[in-house]
Amino acid sequence: MFRHIFTYRLKSLLRDRTTIFWTIMFPIILAVFFHLALSNLGKADSFEPIDIAVIDNVQYREDQSFSMTLEEASKGEDRLFNLKVVSEDEAKKLLEDGAIKGYIEAGSSINLVIMESGLSQSIIKSFIDTYTQTVSAVKTIISSNPEKAQEVLNSIAHRENYIKEVSATASEPDVVLNFFYSLIAMACFYGGFLGLRVINDTQADISSLAARINVAPVHKIKTFIYSMSAALLIHIVETFTLLAFLRYVLNIDFGSKTGYVLLTTILGSVAGVFMGALISAMVKKSEAMKVAILLAVTMGGSFLAGMMVGEMKYIVAQNLPALSYINPINLLTDALYSLYYYDSLSRYFTNMAILAAYILIFGLGTHLIVRRRKYARL
Amino acid sequence: MVVNVKKLVKRYDDLIALDHLSFSVKEGEVFGLLGPNGSGKTTAINCILSLLKYDKGEIEIFNKPMSPTAYDIKRDIGIVMQNVAVYEELTVYENIDYFCGLYINDKILRKDYVEDAIKFVGLEDYKKFTPKKLSGGLLRRLNIACGIAHKPKLIILDEPTVAVDPQSRNKILEGIEEMNRQGATVIYTSHYMEEVEQICSRILIIDKGKAVATGTKEELKEMITLGEKITIEAYGVPEKSINSLRDLPNISSVEYKESILKIKALKGKNNLESVLEFIKNENIQFANIYSELPTLNDVFLEITGKELRD
Repeated sequence: MFRHIFTYRLKSLLRDRTTIFWTIMFPIILAVFFHLALSNLGKADSFEPIDIAVIDNVQYREDQSFSMTLEEASKGEDRLFNLKVVSEDEAKKLLEDGAIKGYIEAGSSINLVIMESGLSQSIIKSFIDTYTQTVSAVKTIISSNPEKAQEVLNSIAHRENYIKEVSATASEPDVVLNFFYSLIAMACFYGGFLGLRVINDTQADISSLAARINVAPVHKIKTFIYSMSAALLIHIVETFTLLAFLRYVLNIDFGSKTGYVLLTTILGSVAGVFMGALISAMVKKSEAMKVAILLAVTMGGSFLAGMMVGEMKYIVAQNLPALSYINPINLLTDALYSLYYYDSLSRYFTNMAILAAYILIFGLGTHLIVRRRKYARL
Repeated sequence: MVVNVKKLVKRYDDLIALDHLSFSVKEGEVFGLLGPNGSGKTTAINCILSLLKYDKGEIEIFNKPMSPTAYDIKRDIGIVMQNVAVYEELTVYENIDYFCGLYINDKILRKDYVEDAIKFVGLEDYKKFTPKKLSGGLLRRLNIACGIAHKPKLIILDEPTVAVDPQSRNKILEGIEEMNRQGATVIYTSHYMEEVEQICSRILIIDKGKAVATGTKEELKEMITLGEKITIEAYGVPEKSINSLRDLPNISSVEYKESILKIKALKGKNNLESVLEFIKNENIQFANIYSELPTLNDVFLEITGKELRD
């Protein structure tokens, strides 16, 4: 009997285009849009060389120390500047056209000419100031203590960085990831559409189809479990497909704990399907109303988990921390987030434990309603 | 006894949907539950099937108490719901196979049963069609096939011909008679008295959840005083003649409107003859004349004071 019901439920659910659209196509489409919209967000943090010019005058050519320093800072992949050596007129024109952020004019002192102030201009200014100060310090030390000359030159050649960068994780920070993690969480909970459909076909007070099945000589709970098994299998495959799409097509990084990521989406899918089942069993209204409630809960949860506004997750965590734990979509998002960023699994297991409690609540609640075999009204 | 319902009471808050309803269905019968919309027919069926809780009463099927877990009883029941109850995404064949498979485990036997059901309802050319592609009549036939494919001993059909074209309706009614000939006991609910008269061997008339009358159609018609309805297309009948017509023996009512004279006569012989003689003697001009025996609607009207289709 399991095989018979399971196979036909699999067929009917897979052919339900509306449900399949919401549970797999919609998240994939949304992921593509996210990718298009957010792909430059991460790159905004990387440093782009600043376009500058230096006037090709006698002082510049004679001040070999400065010209070498400037040219050195404009070489290689990690260069500070994209340098152009031009005449004064050309430099002015380039600046007016916005092709450069500023130009440097060597003379009795080194001057910077800019049109407007900004981060790039501050960096150029800072570079010139550091050079001027270093040259001045070297000159002073050599004139007063010529025996220290070599020591000074060595210290300039081997500058020490006294700030050490310590990462809490081996993973690279990426502000975009949380959008995709919350999208996966949303997709897991869109499995509610499948749960909703299963309940519609199980409860005789909801549909004639369910009434017909209730009249058959099959235990109602068995029918429900077999149908839910089909729904869960479909949804787990759907979320795995979404994960594969994100990982291999959109190159979204999930860190190295692949097994846990898969476990997270399995539990998320189970929670989603059962949440839809509970909503459908509890709400004695039209199917449209049930769908509206399911969408409102899922989208609301996704919003609070940071799917639409990246900072929302942190705003909620700071101002209403309890809500972070109540919102199952945030639990799922945070589980994926903690798997990626933290080596320790304690935060992950906390999220999973609460999610498991949710699954228990959704499952038991649905069971308590579904186990009823006779109805007061049909 | 195939079905035995005793003093069934079902309340919806203050509304009494079934009021001490009792009836029994014998093996081999086509038992009709006739009543207007809202009379309690479907409620009674849902109580019999143990889908609906009821406040009082007893229900036995195949001489055993019916309950939601009485799987041995359920195995021999086929139900055709008022609304079409099939999977939109499965084909005709798959739908019938699915529902049949809830009763029959043997795959080879089930295949034969499904083919038989398809043939029985005439859907051979539509096996691979999904329900969306079927017309209303074909959809109703699929609904029936899903209910009867497992060859049940008791078939319950709840208004199976609602919104069905005449051709499909005839096909469905012929099918029910055929199933009955093959040995199935049938409970058939409808508010179409013509259908019930056509196929039911015994009829229960139900109104406001109460059993109003039960018996064969002949027995039911015997219960009322109306014997004959005579309709005459007559021109310029004076009031005096209408009053005289009312005074004739056995005539219970006379109505004259727009050249149509409607006369109701009590049971008795020669009613038509005496009316014709009166018209001849009164020199009343007439074109058409015909006489009808009482229908189940007349039975319902005389017992409840309202039309079946009110």
